[in-house]
Order: sequence, then structure tokens, then C-alpha cells
Amino acid sequence: MKSAIARLREEVATGGGLKPLRVMAASGQLGYGIPDAAFNAGLARKPHLIGADMGSIDPGPYYLGAGKMAQSETMVRVDLAKCLRGARQLGIPLLVGTAGSAGAAPHLAQTLDMVRAIAREENLHFRLASISADMPRDTVKRAIRAKRVVPLGEIGELTETDVDHATHLVGQMGIEAFQRALELGADVVIAGRACDSAVFAAVPATLGYPLGPTLHMSKIIECCSLCCTPGGRDTVIGTLEGDSFVIDSMNPTRHASPMSVAAHSLYEQADPYAVREPEGTLHTRDSRYEAVDEHRTRVAGSRWEPATQLTIKIEGAMRVGERAVLLCGSADPRVIANIKSITANVEKIVRELTPPRPDKPYQIFWRVYGIDAVFPWATPPDPLPREIFIMCECIADTAEEAKAVATVTKQYLLHHGFPGRLSTAGNTAFPFTPPEVAAATAYRFNVYHVMDVDALEPFFPVHMEDL
Amino acid sequence: MRLTDIAKVVRSKNAGPTVLTLDLLFNDEAGFRLACESDSLKPDAIARLYAQPVEKIQVLAYPPALAIKVVLPRRIVSGDPGDSDVYGAQQHGPLLGIEL
Repeated sequence: MKSAIARLREEVATGGGLKPLRVMAASGQLGYGIPDAAFNAGLARKPHLIGADMGSIDPGPYYLGAGKMAQSETMVRVDLAKCLRGARQLGIPLLVGTAGSAGAAPHLAQTLDMVRAIAREENLHFRLASISADMPRDTVKRAIRAKRVVPLGEIGELTETDVDHATHLVGQMGIEAFQRALELGADVVIAGRACDSAVFAAVPATLGYPLGPTLHMSKIIECCSLCCTPGGRDTVIGTLEGDSFVIDSMNPTRHASPMSVAAHSLYEQADPYAVREPEGTLHTRDSRYEAVDEHRTRVAGSRWEPATQLTIKIEGAMRVGERAVLLCGSADPRVIANIKSITANVEKIVRELTPPRPDKPYQIFWRVYGIDAVFPWATPPDPLPREIFIMCECIADTAEEAKAVATVTKQYLLHHGFPGRLSTAGNTAFPFTPPEVAAATAYRFNVYHVMDVDALEPFFPVHMEDL
Repeated sequence: MRLTDIAKVVRSKNAGPTVLTLDLLFNDEAGFRLACESDSLKPDAIARLYAQPVEKIQVLAYPPALAIKVVLPRRIVSGDPGDSDVYGAQQHGPLLGIEL
């Protein structure tokens, strides 16, 4: 039997160019629920492939560090099953990128287990490709020594110790890895850490569609109907036609307008005119956005520049300690007016009562919501708020130590005496008890760098299996 | 005139864990032009609002979306101990008070 990509090759081939190619973006982040109406409307258009992104670096270092998924397992299973059924029903490839939120080995393994279980339960049969994205530590260290690694923003030079300390270390694959999986006959590709655009661009790139429009379209549809007005999370279809592409939302109430599509090029990008991928750069300075009708927008003029130097963006997170938080509020104007000095004095007492270990001292962070917890305003609000929410966070070497600090803090914050105090029975309100909560292991990103490489293939091995 | 009188979107978000981007989208060409010319949205003004050195602030007009993009370093790497906004989605507050 012919592979999925071979069937597509025959289908889109004409005497001269290529037929229009419909790329369906099922989900901007698999595992948060895929609205049925737009998904089914997408399937009814007979797309040539389904793509879904499953992760991102946005949710912070915990998921990469801990090897855990951000999404609920139940919801991931529901969404994966929906995509697998849809793709098998139409006999088209399904590509999923950044499996399990962060795309390291445990995330990929957990996602693959779910795919196998769904295939078994629903009697689905296909060739499954998995692509791992864990970076060999020795290779990264050699690259550091060869000065082939640079920081992405203000995170400092990468050291060999950082490489050792990262609990997981991944690289972002581009279209190249997906293309290898497709050429090996994959019907379904589940990839570790991947560029979100590669998920959607790999099939058209393999079939020979021009890379400028292909990458630009992929960049826009990877968040689904977020590029529409009003924005949403519904399935969209991007259609590649010659040197341009059309964005079509599968939810009739969310419209892809020239303005909303252009605005999406700004989203989460430092430079809206140049998007760097492992294999090159997408240039959108000359892109033109035109309405096809009230619901669809055509984009033309996007350009692709192949890289002279191949690069891989690498990401790693290391354990910092165990986190406990104390949660409480206050509605007392005098507590609110004095909260900075109260918390400083309470912290001083806590540090005396639970002395930090000299080798591994704990850290305390206060956040006073209503004053300056979200943004470090230069001046306090005037007037002061009627109520405040206080969160005291402790990161210590052990969960027990973090809990001890949070618990002692609770007692001394509740009963702290300060000049002018009226509410001598207690300074704070607890919505529930225990008010101190263990908040899992704390991680931080200690690798967010770009590494020059001579070839991409060795970093992203493809494994095939028949289900 | 206040920025919020002529902007239809004022948002902030990470562009990766080390960079913050602020997007201002305008209702019409006139508002976009006015904002592009305003001293209140020049790098030195943004630098004061965000307590960052001016050389680390980029302000970029993006005509296809009638948008202005501001790019600056995050105060702290996303999710590091002491961070207050992992996604960077609530760092636009100081922009809301801007007079153009």
C-alpha cells in the first residue's frame, strides 16, 4: 500500500503546477478541548492533512523540568482520539508537534501510549512515526566549547554545568524531521519539541509548495482561529494556491479579516517581519493581505530565505527546590496601609525561628495583590484598595522545610502586632485551612539558547511502528 | 488624547521566556499615525514606564495591522523564582494611562 505522502503526491499533481492544498489546523494546543462544530466543518472540506500543536514554552519551566503535561490526561485523550478518527476516516496524515506540553522524552512517551491505547480501543490501524527531541548532552557541551551556542535574550552564556543540571534538555525540530517521517511512510507523526509552524508546513514542503507562503500560512494557523475576529480556538483551514494562501475559519462567527490575519503576525513574535526557523527565515515585509470575502483572507508575497547556518533552539529547565505557598487576605485598612512593613517584620521573625541552611538557604517571596503583585508599580495605589490578597511563597530544599516556613509565617502574620493596630484577634482572613499549600517542585529555565549545527537529522531520530 | 481612546487592542505577552512584547492595535489609520508620531510611545518614554535602559527598548510600527509593537527584555526570566507573570500577559498596565 502506498504511503500517505505518496497518495498526496498523486492527488495534488497536475500537468503543470500543483492543485490547491488544504491544511487543517485542528487545535492551537491539543488537550484543551476542540470545539466539535468547527472541527467537523473542517473535515467536511476534505483537507489534505490535519495538524495540531500540543505544547509551548509559554506555560513556564515546570512542565519541561518535571516531565509532566500541563493538560489533563483525560482531555488529551479526547482530543487525540478526535484527531486520529478524523484523519483515519479521510485517509490523510495527522501531525502533532511538541507532544505532552514540552516535548521531552517522558512527554513523548506518555503521548505515544495514549495514541496506542486509542488505536487499540477504536480498532484504528496506521503507521506511527515518533520523533524525539532530546539533545545529547555531550554534543551540546562540545558545541559550548566550540563557541557555537549563544543565549536567546538575557539569560547568560550557557555552561556545561547548566547542561548537567537541566532535568530535560530539548531542541526544537523544524520541517526536516517531519519530512523524514513522512518519507518513511508515516500516517501519523507524533513529535517531541517542534516548531509549531513545522507541524503544518512539513507536508506542503515535501510536496513542493513554495516555502514562503507555506511557512507564513503555518505560522498563522498554528493558533487556529486566534487569527480571526473575534479570536477563538476553533479549527481553521489554510489553503495553499500558487504563490499565495487563503485563511478560512471553520466557525462562521469568527472571520479571518486582512487586519486580524496581519495582526496575528505580531503575536508572540519579537519581529513581525522576520521569523527564524531552523532551516531558514520567513520574511513577511512584502506580504499583502486581501479580503476574499467577509470571512476569508488571502495573503501573498511572503518570502523564504534558506539559512546559511543551520541552528537548533535548545531549552532546558532545572530544579530549584520545593515550593509551598500561604494564601490569605485582609480587609483591615490599617493592615493594608502597613502591609510592606508587616510582611518585612514577619519575614525577619520567621528567618530567626526557622534559620535557613547556610548551604541551601530557602527563599521567600511576598506578593500583595491589590498593591503591586502583578506589576512593580513605582507608587502605591491612591486610594488604597478595600481588600488585599496576600501570597507568601517559600522555595526550600525540601517540601517539609518549605511547609515549615509557610506555616510559621501564617501564625506570625496572623498575630503580628504593629503600631496603630485595632484588629488584635488577627490580621488576615483564610478562605480555607490549611492555608499553606504544597505547590510542587519549582524549576527554572536554565537553557534557552541557539546552537549552530552542521546537520539537523542526527538530533531528531525517527522511530516507526505499525499499529 | 488617551491611548485607550484610539487603540482597540493593548496587550502584552512573552516572545519566549526572556522577551516581553507589547502590541498596540489601532482602529484606523488616523489613530495609528497619531500614535506613531507621539513622544509618549518613543523608546525613552517606554523605558521610563518599564524601568529599563532605553537602549533595550525597540518600538516598531507595523502598518499592515495598524499596529505598534514594543519589544523589551523581561525583568526576570519567565517562571524564575520571584516572577509575577509567567505568560507576561498582564504587563500592559502602564500603557493604559498614556496620554498621546
